[in-house]
Order: sequence, then structure tokens, then C-alpha cells
Amino acid sequence: MARNPLKDQVAVVGVGSTAYGRDQQRSLLSLGVEAALKAMADAGIDRRGIDGICGSGMSPLAVGNAGFLSVQGALGIEKVTWGKNGWLGSAFVFAVEAVFSGLCDTCLVVQSYRREVNMSRSAARDPFRLRASRFGETGGMGGRDFARRWLHSGEPYAAWMKRYMHDYGVGKDAFGLMAVNNRSHGARNPDAVIQRAITLDDYHASRMVWEPMQMLDMDIPVDGAEAFVITTAERARDLRQKPVTVHAMSLGGTRVGEFYENTLPWTENAFWVAMEGLWARSDLTRTDVDLFYPYDGYTIDAVAVVEAAGFCKPGEAGDYFRDCWDRRENILRLNGGRTLVTTGGGGLAHGRSGGSNLYAEAVRQLRGSQGERQARHADSALITIGSMYHDPSAVLLRAGERR
Amino acid sequence: MRPVAALNDHEVFDRYPDELIDHDNIDHYRAMAERRLVIRHCQDCGYWIYPHRPICPECLSENLRFEEVSGRGTIFMETRLHQLRDPDASIVEPIVAAAVELEERTGLRYLSRIVNCRIEDIVLDMPVSLTWIEEDGCIWPAFEPAAG
Ligand SMILES: [Zn+2]
Repeated sequence: MARNPLKDQVAVVGVGSTAYGRDQQRSLLSLGVEAALKAMADAGIDRRGIDGICGSGMSPLAVGNAGFLSVQGALGIEKVTWGKNGWLGSAFVFAVEAVFSGLCDTCLVVQSYRREVNMSRSAARDPFRLRASRFGETGGMGGRDFARRWLHSGEPYAAWMKRYMHDYGVGKDAFGLMAVNNRSHGARNPDAVIQRAITLDDYHASRMVWEPMQMLDMDIPVDGAEAFVITTAERARDLRQKPVTVHAMSLGGTRVGEFYENTLPWTENAFWVAMEGLWARSDLTRTDVDLFYPYDGYTIDAVAVVEAAGFCKPGEAGDYFRDCWDRRENILRLNGGRTLVTTGGGGLAHGRSGGSNLYAEAVRQLRGSQGERQARHADSALITIGSMYHDPSAVLLRAGERR
Repeated sequence: MRPVAALNDHEVFDRYPDELIDHDNIDHYRAMAERRLVIRHCQDCGYWIYPHRPICPECLSENLRFEEVSGRGTIFMETRLHQLRDPDASIVEPIVAAAVELEERTGLRYLSRIVNCRIEDIVLDMPVSLTWIEEDGCIWPAFEPAAG
């Protein structure tokens, strides 16, 4: 008999359907939101009661169509703590998992399908279906329309960096000190692709890429991979490694959707939503965190995570980093000196693996297996990975016990 | 609102051969081909809806109309591209990518190019107004410093 802790724990409470037709002359998103509204009405739950969305698509980040980002934007759902795409049978199962695990309480599943050009000869002559098939699940990326240039682009991060400096009247020290911190840790990590530490002057002198973003604000593209095995805490106690347990998790989503220039204000971006969702589920607080891994795809991500986690007030990361600076080791020490930031060097030094190396480093530190690089205090780690515009994670890991 | 029936659907697809045109945005491109920038406007609550959505994300109404915007706005954020992803692309001077906040609504931003302006004169929050450029046979909106 297999384990089944979710037995009888999750229910379907609303169903909504559109008409079916061979040529409805509507977008996938239009069909999806109609079904969604009907399902919410059927359940007697309005959009403020939805805190998770499973959208349509084979790609985790389908932009456009009826992917979860577009559904949230179209329905004006302010905040969710879980989002994912699925198709065929998987979407329903994903949503049940999310509700059972507590990542959200009420999940909307939206599955939108169309008569594709490869399914029908008349469909292959319809310019709308032809054009849609060319773009697949990319939401129109790769065309020539400048207005869609920031669909899943790095450039708006640079633009936010400038807006941040403008609004708070600050320079680039917060970004620079984060880069210096990560490179200092990278210099102690034999696995890092860049092992040379830098100074703040090196940072400021680096090549301009997307002004005001410079080379040393950006992670280092590499070939590499990380993998994890995840099982029950019960089983983990009998295995050979010291377990590391998931204390709490959250994903953050805002109503802005996939056009990044329409971003919400700085303190309402998806990192803030993810962190709120995490603290609401956690017995630990910020001051309990021993190790901190803010995503460093760009330094602006890491600065946003620091502020969203509540380590300092919005716009004050630069001053805060100076107060927390260890001049001898050229690294950050938060929470009165106990908390190290991005041991291992992260994407800026170890290399870019979409933040997965931050999870890996955190797990090894919490096991206490990092040898010379082992942090003295390593009972809990906060890892926040992703984009300020879409579905960032916030995860609290704790060192567990073996039997 | 002026009628947006000048080009039929096939002509719009022909005018913009490389864009994802769907039932929610085709009127936007249809008007663009005539140098008019139109955005969906909720007839029930007055919300300006962008990016293009099939319903109003504010009040969930389906009673929407494409209407021409004034073309006045300010630069909310911008970055200057000194390097493009294509390794063979050359940039003579940085390309400006600017999110223009249109006056119709706070947070309503249209990503565009800034033209007729020296790069060093571009500052955040500066007033701009709509103009049009033609590139590879397509007509595109752009913004320039507002007169006065
Ligand atoms: Zn409305």
C-alpha cells in the first residue's frame, strides 16, 4: 500500500465551461477567463478568494495564451502564492498538490485549448491560428514590435535599477557591494568559475551593458546542472545524509502579468508577495535566518530580495550593506554578524544555474559538510530565487536530525 | 471613437508579418498601420486596459472598446542598450528602450523608442508625445520630447 496523506483532504468546489465550437474567433486567454469566471461563480468564490493558479501550457513559463501569468493579469487577481502551468491531466494534479501542501488554499485551474493548424486542414488556412502556431507558448517574443521587447527580457531589470536610484536618490553601492560579497565568497569556492575577488572600484569600472547595468551586475553564463532528491521527512531520517527539511515555501505572483514595463511599484513586486507568503507560513522570522541566498541573476534581484525580506527599509540597502560590511573578509554579515549571504558565490561567481546552485549550497551548509567553507551558524537558510516580475520562490530550509 | 475598419484582417496580418496577432490585439495593429495608437477602454468602469486583455481586469466587464489615446506621457523607466544579444549586431550609439507612462492612467506604460532627442537629454519623468516611424515597411509608434 502506498502512502496517501492527501486522502480525502482536497475537494473540487467549482466548475466552469465555455461553449465548444470549431471556430470561436477568440483567443485562448479569452476562452480561459470565461471558464474561470464561471467556475468562480459556480463555487461562490470571487477573485479575492483565489491564491493559486494553474494555467494552460506545456511550458512552466508560458507567456501569453492562457498561461498562469496572463490569467492572473486578465482576471486582476492581486496576489497569489502559487502559480504553474499544466496540460492534459497534469494541471488538475498540480493544483491538488499545491492545495494539499498549503502553498495555496484555493487554486484556480484554467485549461484552454484550440483547434491547432496541425489538427485540421481548414485551421491551417486561418491566419489567426497560423500566426499563433508560429509563436507557440512564447507570447509573441521574437517579433519586431518594440512594445513586446520586454516580454521575458533582462532589459527591464536595468530600467528598474535606474528607477530605484532615481526614486531613492542613491548611487550604485548596494548593487556593487552585493557583487563584491558574492565574488569574495566565490574566491573561496574551488568550484566557482570565477575565483578572483573584486573591489568596489572594479565593479564601477566594469563594462556598461544595459545602462545603468554593468557586466559585474550580471551572473556568469555557464554550462552546468544541479539535482535534488526529495522525499518525506519520515523516510529522510533513515537515509545516509543528515536531512535538510523544508520549513515553509511560497511563490509570489502579481496582477501585472507578462508585460514587464507595466510593473507595480518597487515594494509591491513579486518578491514582496513571495516573502509575505513565506513569513505567513513560517515559525521562524528574519532574525532566525542563519544563511541567506537572495537570487543574483542581476544584482538588482538580490537587492530587492534583501529589502523584501525586511532586512532593511526600501531604498536603504546601500547604507545597510555598509553597516553590515566585514572589511577584513569583504563580505556581508547580517543579523548582528551571524548571517552570511550567498556563501559559494552564487550566479555572479560560481556561475549561472538559475539559482539552483543556491539551493545546493544551502543544503550542503545545513548538513555541515562544507569543510573550510563551512559557516559556523547553519541551522536555517532562506533562499529566494526568481524574478521580481513573475513567480519567485521563497524557501526556508532547516537542518534536520538523523535517527 | 473613429471606426477601425480600414484594413481587413488579412491585410493587418500582411502589414505586420512577424507579430503575434490574435483576436484580442488585432484592432491595435489595424489602427497602428494608420498611425493611430489605440488601447482598450472599459465602457463600464473607465479603466484603460494594457497589456491587451479580453476582459477588464479591474471590474471584469466585457464591454470594452479600442479608443485612441492622447499620446502624451512621461518616461517612467528606461535603459540604454550598449550591447545586443546578436554578436554580429553593431550599435553606433546606445538604443534607448523606454517605458512611457501614458497620461490616461497611472501604471499604464507602453514600451517604445525615444526619437528626435539627444540621448544625454533623456531623463526619467520627462514629458514625451507620440510620433511615428517606419521601419522595414512597418509603421511603429515612437515617442519624442513633448513640445514646449
Ligand atoms: Zn472595467
